[in-house]
Amino acid sequence: MTHLGLMAIYALLLGVFFALLWRQENAARSRLFLQIFIGMVGGAVLVGWLMYYFPSGPAAPIP
Amino acid sequence: MTELAQDGFSWRAVALAAVAWIVPGCGHFVLGRRVRGIGFAAVIATAFLLGLHLEGNLYRVAPGQPLSFLATLGAMGAGAPYFVARFGAGFSGSPEASTYEYGTIFLLSAGLMNLLVVLDVWDLASGRKERD
Repeated sequence: MTHLGLMAIYALLLGVFFALLWRQENAARSRLFLQIFIGMVGGAVLVGWLMYYFPSGPAAPIP
Repeated sequence: MTELAQDGFSWRAVALAAVAWIVPGCGHFVLGRRVRGIGFAAVIATAFLLGLHLEGNLYRVAPGQPLSFLATLGAMGAGAPYFVARFGAGFSGSPEASTYEYGTIFLLSAGLMNLLVVLDVWDLASGRKERD
């Protein structure tokens, strides 16, 4: 399983969980689920893309 | 505000919170919120089983590591699944696995989610949160 796939599953589970916990109506639940899911997956992809501009540099020496 | 909320304490709420902790989703099911109960049970069970499949760390208290105490409390929030996996199946995770960190997050999240569910059951049962 890919890192992106695991992240998407994690966002899916959290989105469903908090939508059930914090909202009562189905429409409101759907909105919150989409906000959480898109926020987590989209945010992670966006941050990952921005990190291309900050190369990690040489590996740290092994003590 | 109901009489239970004014009293601030009820043994029924304590019993329901305990049931909700031991069996994820069961508290809402008993309170008549069956769809939510099944949903919580499905989400928490999926996260926990996926964490086991990914060979994550099922936290236990490590001497000299005070933060492991908090992590253990969080993981124990999953209730019966934690104890069955730890003491029944002897599961401890595999740090050599490439998915170890992911599995740890899934296992810990399952416990923390169930603790939030327990608090929700407590609020519903004690009248602090209105039923819909």
